Amino acid sequence: MIIDDWLVFLLLFLAPVLSSIPIALVYKSDKWTEKLPYLSVFGIFISVLMSLYIFTSFPENQQYAYTWIPDLGINFVLITDYLSCYMGVITAVIAFFIAIYGLDYMKGDYRPSWYWFFFNLFTASMLLVVYSDNLFLLFVGWEGLGAASWGLIGHWFRDDDEIAYVGVPKRKVGPLELSWPPSFGGWRAISTIRFGDVPMFLAIAAIWVLAGNLNISEINWETLFLNIGAAGTIILLVCFLMGLFTKSAQVPFSEWLMTAMTGPTTVSALLHSATMVAAGAFVFIKISWYIKPWELHHVPGLEIVYIIALFIGLISGLYGALAGSGMLERKVLLAASTMSSIGLMFAVGAASFWIHEEIAGINLALLVAFWYMAVHAFAKASLFLVSGHLIHATHSRFSCGGFEFGKRMKIPFIVTIIATTFLVGIPPLTAYWVKSAMDKSMEILWHEHHMLLPIILLILTSLIYSAIMARFLSLNFVRGEKPEHEHLEGGGLMKLGYTMMVSVLFILLYLIFTNAETKGFVDAGYASVSFAVGAGALIAYVIAVYVPRLKVFSRVPGTFFNDRMYLPFLNDYIMPKTGFFISRIVQNYGNRGIDGFFNTRVIPGLFGIISKGIRAIQTGYLKSYVKIVLGLVMVFLIVESLWGLGL
Amino acid sequence: MMGLTLNVMHMGMLSALVILTLGSIGSFKNSKLGFYGTIIALVIAFSAITITVSAAHFLSYGIFILAIAIINLVSLEAIKSEIKGVDYGLVGLMALATMYIFNTSEFALVLAALVLVSVPTYILVMIREGGANVEVGIKYITFMVLATVLFLIGAIMLVYTKSAFDGSLYVLGYVMLVLGLCLEVGVAPLHEWVPDVFSSADPIPISIIASLAKIVPFIAALWILVYTSSDLTLSITLFTAVIAAISMFVGNIGALTSKELGRVLGYSTVANMGYILSCFVVVAEPKFIYLALTGGLLMLFANAAGKIGFFNAIKGGGAYSPLMYLLAFSFIGVPPLMGFWGKLFILLSLAKMEYFWLVAIVVINSAISIPYYVRLATELGVEWKPNLTNFICLAAVVMVLVTVFLLPVEWFYSTMEVIAQTVGIAI
Repeated sequence: MIIDDWLVFLLLFLAPVLSSIPIALVYKSDKWTEKLPYLSVFGIFISVLMSLYIFTSFPENQQYAYTWIPDLGINFVLITDYLSCYMGVITAVIAFFIAIYGLDYMKGDYRPSWYWFFFNLFTASMLLVVYSDNLFLLFVGWEGLGAASWGLIGHWFRDDDEIAYVGVPKRKVGPLELSWPPSFGGWRAISTIRFGDVPMFLAIAAIWVLAGNLNISEINWETLFLNIGAAGTIILLVCFLMGLFTKSAQVPFSEWLMTAMTGPTTVSALLHSATMVAAGAFVFIKISWYIKPWELHHVPGLEIVYIIALFIGLISGLYGALAGSGMLERKVLLAASTMSSIGLMFAVGAASFWIHEEIAGINLALLVAFWYMAVHAFAKASLFLVSGHLIHATHSRFSCGGFEFGKRMKIPFIVTIIATTFLVGIPPLTAYWVKSAMDKSMEILWHEHHMLLPIILLILTSLIYSAIMARFLSLNFVRGEKPEHEHLEGGGLMKLGYTMMVSVLFILLYLIFTNAETKGFVDAGYASVSFAVGAGALIAYVIAVYVPRLKVFSRVPGTFFNDRMYLPFLNDYIMPKTGFFISRIVQNYGNRGIDGFFNTRVIPGLFGIISKGIRAIQTGYLKSYVKIVLGLVMVFLIVESLWGLGL
Repeated sequence: MMGLTLNVMHMGMLSALVILTLGSIGSFKNSKLGFYGTIIALVIAFSAITITVSAAHFLSYGIFILAIAIINLVSLEAIKSEIKGVDYGLVGLMALATMYIFNTSEFALVLAALVLVSVPTYILVMIREGGANVEVGIKYITFMVLATVLFLIGAIMLVYTKSAFDGSLYVLGYVMLVLGLCLEVGVAPLHEWVPDVFSSADPIPISIIASLAKIVPFIAALWILVYTSSDLTLSITLFTAVIAAISMFVGNIGALTSKELGRVLGYSTVANMGYILSCFVVVAEPKFIYLALTGGLLMLFANAAGKIGFFNAIKGGGAYSPLMYLLAFSFIGVPPLMGFWGKLFILLSLAKMEYFWLVAIVVINSAISIPYYVRLATELGVEWKPNLTNFICLAAVVMVLVTVFLLPVEWFYSTMEVIAQTVGIAI
């Protein structure tokens, strides 16, 4: 090895952070903040090089451990398994392409220092999550993601530009105004994530206490689960999954993802492809990889956990696709589709419990989930970057742009066509092969385990998903309304960013056909069911391109879907009201009871009595002092003498 | 050889006494003579002891005593008493006895040291500008006489049981000695004289009574109790623990709810004496005595420095505000000031003896004491002025700041370990 392995890891994690510190420090100087973003991008480029170096030169499944707090099992333990090697490259490359795009997109922003620092922290945190084997170290990266997402979603914290909002301003439904400014978006993200992080942290603590080890690849999961029984296993894993579900915006924690669109588009692109929402699904795949649930059918309670994950994933998939079908805001539509995709990753990842089939020693279901994540990441990142460009070009966050517009915006048009068709599973494009293996997994569930619902939900989701992606294409380039403003010049680096991004989909297609482990995908692609689903996706796609909006449905259920089936009420009404209710009870009864009674009555009362007694003695007369002292001395002496005599 | 070394120390002490006396006589002519005579006497005694006993052992203790004594002497400048000059001699006498007590293994000399420290305070307490403060004097002396009598009888009974053991006599002696000590230094519930005397006497002599005069009684009592400890000791220490706990609460609550500053300091003394008395629970376990000695003495020094600073500030109408806060924080026990180390070692000795409830009470009391110390600092804190009060407070603050560097603490700690061993060997 040319350089020490620890130096590679150090550069991988620290290069993005260190390279963005200068710009954070000179935040007051316009001159410097214009130039220093290049340094930040260079830092991410170093991470790309390091991740590629790890991918090509590091031995697979090697653990790299450096002690930190060994007494608590908290160590810098990194691993180069299949998942982290691939995901590391994906994360770094996507972040790098987006960063290049960002050089153009964020030009003239009012606080570039803030943006670049958090953008790079975001990347570094995700890389830490990807490579760490130690759960605590992973959690450090995990919290870094949370903090950076808050900073980036609320980047335009002044809430002064309507273009950064989500929802139609001043549109009220019941007591709620369905419109969210960036600052609220940031708050919604961090508060939802914290809701899951706390149980997840407790679960990690419990794993340390119960297993005595925090390294995912070393924990003896079977013994751990058997020791704590069915209820223990369910509680432990559900607590852990809470962190993943909230981070990945699964139902019912999906609201923050929709209003995360208040952040800059680059942030949305990164958030949706390789970090944050992907982190939840990634960690789920990773722990399932080592838990090996398909070998643990004798562990009580584990099946229930995987059923929960399976259905939360499937329901989120359908919910996201349906919600997207009613949306007109470019980025929010994409956000809903992301949620849907991530849901499918969870679902097929959870299916690993019932699927024994292995390709090249890797469980089929987990492999599918992971490859779908990879394909989705590049396709979705491309689409977000395009929509960012469109927002710049048309000054509108709502979909608009007809065929004339499309002809003048050739590159974005073509990129959108490639990204959508490659993503929705139209044969023989990239995602088709992955989706086929996904269909096959759910078929196994149906044939071998009599679970029909998963495959129905999957096919339904796939069709609607295909339609909403086509709808995105159509509303922006084919059959959309003519934009009010058109600003088509410039944007060279933006075009470069998403062109490079979308071209990776071809590389992935190539890899699917050449890699040994993905041979199963190709086989599944030739199955008749898969082909039928693929054909269905194509038909749905074509129809939706031709008819992107149906007037009949625009009110019902269109508006209902656009309002995300009124899930905002859970987030913005029911939860806060419940919180206020609890806090009022605590305030009225708890605080007044404990604080009011104990701290303002009992203790001061006792103080008063004692102090009155103490002061009552001090009469100032020697006579009374002598009486007291002599009396006390006599009492003491008599008592002690009696005690002494008793000995 | 042994005879010779003894002679050097005793010669030194004797010449110190002679110089003290001459200085006091000379002070009728010029009060400066008394001041310088006392300083010279103290330095001679300090050097004589340092030369005789292994230097490092005495040095850490002796330097603190010397420092406290000299600050006390300087602070007497602030008052024009009728016995100007002689008062220096009295303070010098107390300091000599305090230095000497660690260097004797004679029971009689320990008792003599106690009396030597006690009696000069009878005169000091009455010092006032223009006349004598007779009322305070009578209040103080009445209890001091009772205290000394109880202490001496108790001590003699205890020493008697050493040669002819009698359980009930041992318990009686122990209780009498501890009650004598309580009266002497002002531990509740025998503290009645403290708030009155502290608030109505002149602050300067009180600063001496609250600092230098408190050290010997504790060392003497500890010395005798360790020397005479028996099988019953472990159970009888509960008595001192309970008294100590009562004293902490009475002192702190009293201080918290008093207005007059002198009175607050009086109650603060009651509380501090409670802390120090609590480490008496170790007398049954000679191997932990070094912890109690370290804690008790550091606490006594911290208390001395703080009381000197605060009383002088009262006399001088306030002192420089940051100095007052530093003294208050030392009393509260904020690391790394001296008061913190004192409390820490006291707590350690209690924990080693498994008196965990007493540990809890000490900690709770430290918390209770915070408001009134901060109040003292706030009320006494003024702008900087280059005057005697500020100079004395500065000296006191330097004392509590010595422990900011860990070295003095370790040095002191190891010294106490050696002293405890020597005491143990002597027994």
